[in-house]
Formats: sequence, C-alpha cells, structure tokens
Amino acid sequence: MKYQSQAVAKPYFIAAIGLFVGQIVFGLIMGLQYVVGDFLFPAIPFNVARMVHTNLLIVWLLFGFMGAAYYLIPEESERELYSPKLAMLMFWIFLIAGALTILGYLFVPYAKLAEMTGNDLLATMGREFLEQPLPTKVGIVIVALAMLFNLSMTVLRGRKTAINLVMLLGLWGLAIFFLFSFYNPANLVKDKFYWWWVVHLWVEGVWELIMGAMLAFVLIKVTGVDREVIEKWLYVIIAMALITGLIGMGHHYYWIGTPSYWQWWGSVFSALEPIPFFMMTLFAFNMVNRRRREHPNKAAVLWALGTGVMAFLGAGVWGFLHTLAPVNFYTHGSQITAAHGHMAFYGAYVMVVITMISYTMPLMRGRAANSKTAQVVEMWSFWLMTVAMVFITLFLTAAGVLQIWLQRIAAEPMGFMAAQDQVALFYWMREISGLVFFVGLVLYITSFFIKGKEAPAG
Amino acid sequence: MWFFIFAELLVFGIFFLAYAFARARNVELFNASQLQLDRLSGAINTALLVTSSYFVVRAVERIHHGAARACAYWLAAAMACGGAFLLLKLGELGAKMEADISMSTNTFFMFYIGLGFFHFMHVVLGMVILGAVALKAWRGGYSAAEHTGVETGASYWHMVDLVWIVLFPLIYVLR
Amino acid sequence: MKGATFLWLLLLALTALTMQSAALAAAGLSAGMLVMLVLVVTLAKGYIVIDHFMALHQVNGAWRWIVPGWLLLVLGLIGYAFNLNPT
Repeated sequence: MKYQSQAVAKPYFIAAIGLFVGQIVFGLIMGLQYVVGDFLFPAIPFNVARMVHTNLLIVWLLFGFMGAAYYLIPEESERELYSPKLAMLMFWIFLIAGALTILGYLFVPYAKLAEMTGNDLLATMGREFLEQPLPTKVGIVIVALAMLFNLSMTVLRGRKTAINLVMLLGLWGLAIFFLFSFYNPANLVKDKFYWWWVVHLWVEGVWELIMGAMLAFVLIKVTGVDREVIEKWLYVIIAMALITGLIGMGHHYYWIGTPSYWQWWGSVFSALEPIPFFMMTLFAFNMVNRRRREHPNKAAVLWALGTGVMAFLGAGVWGFLHTLAPVNFYTHGSQITAAHGHMAFYGAYVMVVITMISYTMPLMRGRAANSKTAQVVEMWSFWLMTVAMVFITLFLTAAGVLQIWLQRIAAEPMGFMAAQDQVALFYWMREISGLVFFVGLVLYITSFFIKGKEAPAG
Repeated sequence: MWFFIFAELLVFGIFFLAYAFARARNVELFNASQLQLDRLSGAINTALLVTSSYFVVRAVERIHHGAARACAYWLAAAMACGGAFLLLKLGELGAKMEADISMSTNTFFMFYIGLGFFHFMHVVLGMVILGAVALKAWRGGYSAAEHTGVETGASYWHMVDLVWIVLFPLIYVLR
Repeated sequence: MKGATFLWLLLLALTALTMQSAALAAAGLSAGMLVMLVLVVTLAKGYIVIDHFMALHQVNGAWRWIVPGWLLLVLGLIGYAFNLNPT
C-alpha cells in the first residue's frame, strides 16, 4: 500500500463480504422454497427472500466497487485521497441505510414499508431490483455523489491514467443511470423501457467499465506487463463493451410493447456483446503469460484468470444462448434467464470484486501476500465456489429447457406450476450445489484468519 | 483501429444479409416500398462519398510528401462532401417523416431508416475523426516520416464509404 | 495520383450505371441478370475502394484478404437471397 488513505477500502471490503454471506443464505432459503413451498412461511415469504437475495447482491457489489475505487484511484493518481473522512462517513451512512432497508424488508410488510417511507410522495417502489424505499434511493444518490466528488478531486489533482479515468467514467455512469430509478411512468411499457436504463445500462454498460479498470489494475500489479500494453487492451475492450452494450439494450425490448424493430437491433448488437468479454479472457491470459515477474500472491492471479473465463461463459455464452429474438420468443422469463443471471453475476462482478479484495487485502494488512497455507485455502474456496456455480448454472439451464418444452412447445402445454413440479429434481440438485457454494464461501472467509509464514511487505 | 473496422464491417454485413433474407420472404412489400425512395438522392450521396474518399486519398498522398497544409486542405474538402451527404440524407429522412413513415411502418422501412440512421452516425463520427486529423496536420503534427494518424483516419473514412457503396444498390436499387 | 483520379472517375461512372440500371431492365434485361449486374458493379466499386483507397494492396498475408473476403461473402449471399424467389 503506497498511500495511507487507501486503507479506507478495508471496511468497504469487509462489509461487502459480510453482505455476500447474507446474500448466499437467502439464496439457499429461496432455493429450498422452490421445492418446499412453505419453508419458513409466513415469516419469510418467497418474494421477500428473493428481494433480499438480489438487493444484497447489488449492495455488496456496490460496496466492493466503492472499496476498489478508494484503493485504486489514489494509487493510480499518485496522491492521497481528497478526503478519507468523507469516505468513512459515506461508508457508515451506506451501511446503516442498507441494513435498515433489509430489516425493513424482513420485518415490515412491503406495502406498510412503502407507506412509512413516503412512497406516496414519489412512487418508485415495487419494481424488481429497484424495490428500495425512497429514503434509501436518495441515500444511494448522496453516497454516490459524495464518493464521486471525493474521487474526482483526487484524480483532478493527480496523475491521470487510462485506468483511473475509465474507473471514474464507469462510476459516474453508474450514478447517472441510477437516476432513472426515480422515473416511474404510469404507462407500464414506458416504465419497463426506462427501468432497463438502470438495470441493463448498469450491468451491460457502465459496470463493464468498472470491471475492465479493476481487472487492468490488478493485472498491471501482478504481471508487471507494461502499462502501455494493458491500456491499449482496456481501450479496445471498453469501446466494444459500450458500442455493443448500449444498442444491445434492445434485447430487453422484445415482447413488452415496444416497437418490433427492437427485435432486429437487439438481436444483432447483443449477439456481439460476448466479444468484449472474450477479449477480457484473452487479455487476462495474455498478460499473465507475458508476465515479467512472479507475484507472491498466486490466489489473486487465479481470481483474475477466473474472472476472464467465467465472465465470458456466464455473460457471453449464456447470454448469447437466449439473446436472439426468435430464440427468446420461447425462452423469455424462464429458468434460462436465471441460469444466465447466476453465472454472469458471479463470473463477472463477484469474481472481479474478489480479485481486487484478494490482491489488496494482504497489502492493507501489511504484507505482499498471505501465507502459503492461507492461499491454498483461498484457492480451494475459488474452485469450490466456481465449480458449484457452474453446476448451479447447468442445473438451472436443464430446468429451463425442460420448463420451456413442457410449458411452451409440447403438443399439450402444461400450466406454469405443473411444469415446475416436473423440474423439481433439477431444483434439488441446484440447492445441493448451492450448499457446496456456501462451503466454499466459508472456506474463503476462513482464509483471512489463517496465519503462517508470510511474504514480506513489498 | 483495424479491429474496429472489422467489427463495424461485421455489424453492417449482418444487417445487409438480414435485409436480403427478410426481403426474400416478403418480396412484394419490399419492392413496393422501395419505389417510394428517392433513388437520385441516394446516387448523389454515393457520388459525394466516393469523391470524399478520393479527396482523402489525395490528402494521404500529400502527407507522404510532407505537405501538411495541402493534406489539411484535402481533408477539409472531404469533410465538405461528408457534410453535403449529411444534409441530403437529412432531407431524405425528413421527407419520409413528413409522409408519416417510420421504423414501425413496415420491415422495409425499418431497415431503410434504421440502417440509414446508423450509417449516418458513422459519417458523423468519420467527420469528427477527419476533423481531428486535419487539425493536427494543420498544426504540423504529422510529417513525411510519421503520419500513422492520417492513414488510420483515412482507413476509417474509406470503410464508411465502402459500407455505403454496398448499402446504396442493396436498399435503393436491387429489386 | 493519376491512377487515383482515374479510379475516382470510374467509381462515379459505375455509380451512374447502378442508378440507371432500371433503364437496362426496360431494354429487356431479365431481373436475375440485372441483380447480377448490379452486384458485380458493386463488387468492382468495393474492390477499388478496398484495394487502392484503403491501400490494402501494400499489405501482405492473410490480413489483406479479410475486407475483400467480407465484401465477396456479403455480396454473394445477397445474390443468393435475391435469387431465392425470382420476381
């Protein structure tokens, strides 16, 4: 660690991991509710568990991105953070707001929560992934703006590199597109149309910039390859990601009441969205093969390579599977979407945040890398979680294919619930994979507490 | 930059083939709708782009001899042609809008307006690139020895021209 | 530079030919032949731009053939699609 203020990243990362555990616990609860419908009912109904599972994911990834930004920006700008105090203040505001929101979901009926938090003033709640009460949404904006002010001031006064500029651009985009969550037109088609401006333009737009910057940063550090080379790759990747991602948004506009030309534009452009992800895979492997030094933190290198591969598989391949309009006509809103969602979020965003944590945590704790034993445990957790996620994805894909066949293609189509009964076996297997994932997560956390002979601080 | 050119050609190629095969399934509609296009305007636009491409070739040739000012003049001439193309195209699209034709009218017009607009944006981007190159050339940023930027910008512009060379006969003429 | 000027004039002439192809149809050329003609003219125009304007004739190896290959493939498939259902 070169600058004292980079240490503010640490609480962000710890909070991120804590919320990650919560997300997985609720994932397991929900997974079981798929097959044992009344499990924990009425304390935690399925819709609440789902809301907590997805919201926790978003919030902990945001914690991860913010932590990564607070670590990466000072180092790239070659100066201390503009205001570490402001960063810490925002951390507590975000954590408390996040915790209160989740507790609200769990202990207050949703309609009551809406009433209590002023949804009458400006109705923004009740939409998938944007369920947060108004005060939370406003809080997110405040936290994001304070962070952007803090980081922008740091970059403006310091060195400007491709990495910190791309990171900053991604974070600004994240904040700006979130503003569409306050726009909730009464027309359902328009509502969905702009809803995707948050959801799609985050995960298939600006988040890719953040991801690219984080990956490039870690790769420079662990491989020692020239910055020039890495920056060239980064430019090409983010340009491709933006071009394909922006118009590729059309693939969400099939069958929801928007004009039919979106079927053409969405199909063609989103079919190209795997290209930037494929380039990220090539990028990671290429840089590691051309490495100029052996970094003692092997675990971070493994996570970086894993990000490249899993992001391409989850976001690229599984996205492409159902992105073409004629295919999507059948697969729309089935378990195929769930399969894609799981592997894409894990492969792209979860893994890149963990890559960053894996590289920075030892440095923030005063060593170049963790002890051999700790790294071995961490690598075990990598394989357990990754393989478990591959199986979750495969089982959900199988469930999706069967579901589509029974419900939408067969000569005598079944009703939704009847088809769900038929695919229960896959849901059971998915739940078991989920437990393996949880074991991997526990191992991951354990690895932070394992002592042993450490590499000296570098 | 070549990577982008390949990617762009790939996208346009897919759309051209989509047009051709969508047409094969609905020949009458496409033929009838095509009659409403202004073929002369399309042909003039082709001539404009071809001419601008030629000017860009002259610009590249000049910088090979180190004549930076002349290079900038030729590039400005190419941009003028590009500007004329944009005006004419806007007129065409405006006339279609007045006739209440939009992307939702039918599949033919979806392609005509969609692809036209998409190509339009590429002409705009190409002009921005040419403008940046011309400005740098004017300020003496390129020489007979070092002029990669000019050649790269030129390649992008030729790609925009090439795409239109296929687009014009495909959408305006072939039936 | 004379070469480029000549090619430019040739491109303009070919554009005029494409434009006036309907007149050829009136002169008794079949629709299928007309499609072929326009595509061949387009191929020629595209090739001039690629090989001479983009200056790919100076490049060696496989890279040189990517863009002409794209042109040939796209035009070939367009020709195929237009002959699926001759009018």
